[in-house]
Amino acid sequence: MRKILRWLIFILSTAALIWLVILLLIHITPLPPEDEMTYARQTLSEAGRGKADTYSKKLYSEAKADYDSAMAIWRRENKRFLFFRHYEKVETYAKLSAKTANQANESSETNSSTLKIRLKDKIDSITKTAYNINKFFGRYPMPTEIRNRISKGNFLLQEGEVAYNKGQYLPANTKITESEYLLTGVYDNAIAELKDYFKSFSTWKQWTQSAIDESKKSRSYSIIVDKFSRKCYVYLRGEKKYEFEAELGRNWVGDKRRMGDLATPEGNYKIVNKFHGKETEYYKSLSLDYPNARDKERFQDEMSKGTLPAWAKIGGGIEIHGGGGKGVDWTEGCIALTDSEIDLVYNIAKVGTPVTIVGSIKNISQILDN
Amino acid sequence: MKNKVLMGLAALAIVAFLSSCGKVPQAKIDATNAAIDSAKVAEASVYVPAELAAVQDSMKAINAAVEVQKSKMFHKYGPIALKLDQTIVKARQVTADAVAKKAVVKKEVETLMTDIKAVNEENAKLFKKAPRGKEGAQVLDKIKADMATIDASVVEAQGLYDKGAYMDADTKIKAAKASADSINAELKEAIAKVTAKQPAKPAAKPAAKPAAKPAVKK
Repeated sequence: MRKILRWLIFILSTAALIWLVILLLIHITPLPPEDEMTYARQTLSEAGRGKADTYSKKLYSEAKADYDSAMAIWRRENKRFLFFRHYEKVETYAKLSAKTANQANESSETNSSTLKIRLKDKIDSITKTAYNINKFFGRYPMPTEIRNRISKGNFLLQEGEVAYNKGQYLPANTKITESEYLLTGVYDNAIAELKDYFKSFSTWKQWTQSAIDESKKSRSYSIIVDKFSRKCYVYLRGEKKYEFEAELGRNWVGDKRRMGDLATPEGNYKIVNKFHGKETEYYKSLSLDYPNARDKERFQDEMSKGTLPAWAKIGGGIEIHGGGGKGVDWTEGCIALTDSEIDLVYNIAKVGTPVTIVGSIKNISQILDN
Repeated sequence: MKNKVLMGLAALAIVAFLSSCGKVPQAKIDATNAAIDSAKVAEASVYVPAELAAVQDSMKAINAAVEVQKSKMFHKYGPIALKLDQTIVKARQVTADAVAKKAVVKKEVETLMTDIKAVNEENAKLFKKAPRGKEGAQVLDKIKADMATIDASVVEAQGLYDKGAYMDADTKIKAAKASADSINAELKEAIAKVTAKQPAKPAAKPAAKPAAKPAVKK
């Protein structure tokens, strides 16, 4: 009995000793930074879902590199003997990764929402520029190269909008920025050219007022053509009586300089002849006394200065005629009205009725503000 | 007797020690990584980016769990092996989804290419009918420039399609189609406007020299 008791005590003591040793070993085994690594991984994942790899690339890359460093060090330490492992560096990198990933996430949210707002504003602004180009310069004579720039700018705007609607803000930004460069450049140049053209506005204003005053004084008809607005006005006794849409020469901007330049002249003219039926190919026409004295003087001046080619001729045969209503500037310099409109004008106009052709009766501010 | 007891205890200790030393399921880890690589090759990052990111996150968690076990005295890789089995299935699903989505986008691009060719052909016919007058018009010049831009863009989209960049081709062709539709509407409006305004003219009579008409100079 005593012997059995002794053996029992020995076995229990041995078992307790083994357990104590095991507990001691567990206690002194270094603990890996499991929680820190889990948090770093979750934060990095959240930053990725928030598209930090796109909108906060630098910070996200740094966070990812820190996490990868933590894992590499962890693997290296785990190859060492259990009690010689050190996980302090793993913990340091894990915390750094989590901190940077949080910063990347916050930065990404701010950057993407700022970019989205900025892009929306840009799209609206460029759409307005494209609209203004079409509105003011849709029928403006432009070289093919400029037309191509406008076309490309409009197309890039479309592509940018498609990318924006897909949530691809960086590619959208590239397209829209390029579109802005093209369209704004064209618009600014066109406005500069228009301002240059409108330097003659004071002259046009004076001619227009004189024509209206003369109509009032003589109690008769006067015709005024506003080239920029494509309008043909008929005044009686100083009051506007009729208003028609007019179609001009293809190169209508500026005064007529020579025969064949497809420009509609500017100045004070009179009707010198009336044609109808077989007498004209445009249903009815009112022939003007272009070139007048001013036109001849200017032509001679240009010829003497050599700003026109030696073979240039002054031209003539400028009329107000029918055949219009095409919605485009198609004549060789004449002013075209629809057949029904020319009917009316033909009936009221006489030989000697004044016709004043100006660039615009509104100043440039009134045009652009409208 | 004493020796037998001691040997029994030692045997128990050895069994306990051996049973707690699990092996890293390296073959499964390699297979799962290979499955994720296959998903990347299938362009999952382009077509199903969220799904790919989720699978990659799962793998990161597994890698960390393996190191946690290695950090301990007694390793247990059973739950990790189960997670690997689940992740490899998900990775293969991501690959399948990417392939399917790619096929959908490819089909969409092909449909848009066919549609835009039809619109461009109609635009070319309408352009010939559009009001020209004697010398053409700025509006037609604008439309001509737009049509050239669209043609160039369709060529670019085709190039992207041929390279397999279907998403990029999709963005480009959608923009081109929108422009082509806009031109189509503009041309139809211009033709309708001229048709409505111009009354039917009498048949052209033989040209007789007009009396008292000055020579056309312009």
